[in-house]
Amino acid sequence: MRLLVHEPAEAAWNMAVDEALLTSGLEPTLRFYGWSPHAVSLGYFQGIEDFRDLPAELPVVRRLTGGGAIHHGDELTFSLTIDAASLPRDIGASYRLLHEAAIAALADAGVTSRRAPQGPAAGARPADRWCFAHPGRDDVVTDRGKLLGSAQRRIRLPRARVLHHGSLVLQRPHLTPFAAATADTTACTAGFAERLRDLLAMHIAGALEMDLHPGELTAAERALATQLQRERYRDLAFVHRR
Amino acid sequence: MRPTDCKYQKTHEWCKIQNGIATIGITDYAVSHLSDLVFLDLPAKGASVKIGESFGEIESVKAVSSLYSPVNGEVIDSNKDLPDNLEWLSQEPFGKAWMIKVKVTSTSPDLLEAAAYEAHCKAEG
Repeated sequence: MRLLVHEPAEAAWNMAVDEALLTSGLEPTLRFYGWSPHAVSLGYFQGIEDFRDLPAELPVVRRLTGGGAIHHGDELTFSLTIDAASLPRDIGASYRLLHEAAIAALADAGVTSRRAPQGPAAGARPADRWCFAHPGRDDVVTDRGKLLGSAQRRIRLPRARVLHHGSLVLQRPHLTPFAAATADTTACTAGFAERLRDLLAMHIAGALEMDLHPGELTAAERALATQLQRERYRDLAFVHRR
Repeated sequence: MRPTDCKYQKTHEWCKIQNGIATIGITDYAVSHLSDLVFLDLPAKGASVKIGESFGEIESVKAVSSLYSPVNGEVIDSNKDLPDNLEWLSQEPFGKAWMIKVKVTSTSPDLLEAAAYEAHCKAEG
């Protein structure tokens, strides 16, 4: 599995790269990145009208994945893009696999977390606009609240592929004060974030029974991401599509 | 057994073509693997759809999935009541949970008969 470690970047670029990896990537890829400037990402189906109260200077991007909105501040963000056949067929099982890997990585870094035993009723529309407001069943939580936001996009053409997004909160962003954060239990130094990233990579690769090797975006992936950044993720018609 | 007057895609959409109009939906197999559906986005009347390209999206509690068109053509109707009644997809995926009607200009050459689709589902597991 290819490991990409990217510097913090603009929200539209972050989402464009993940879509390029989903649709044109040829190998399983685990990508870590950050947000500069900090931004809000909306779930694919969320309505922009519910976010008119956000600070005007805060960039807003629409994700390809579902779920609730996230205020991306000081967090460890990752995307996994992979053939669907490499994950458990059941969507819930694929979450449990990746969440268990995250819980193991957090434990190795000194942060105790667990899978939530229950959550909102299945089939219910999200009770809150924010991803971290109400942990669902199997979400990664601490005693303080939800620590890891997760969402997926699945495509069947040109190949059956999955994009899995993860946002692990290091320091609680001010728009979502109900979220848990690793800073609740551990000093959030740059060294800690790097160590946790490496542990996450190791445990996710282990859960998927794959070897990790550092890599770069290919020229084709970069070209597609540049196009998607311009034509989709920076396009207000897409951000405001609902 | 699924309806034999429908054709099927390996991506789990069905279509029934009568007098040049295709009625399109997703199969019970697709619905059973999505589960806990929360949102559905369908194209508006007048939109063009193309073979192998996404005509809509559906969100379950944990994943957004694309829906793929088995035909080329123009959308002449979409099931406006379906997004607010997603339980229909579990109850009657080949009936009242139809998604769009398309005036067909051409059809995918890869559509399967019901028996072949059944075998495909069994192979997928």
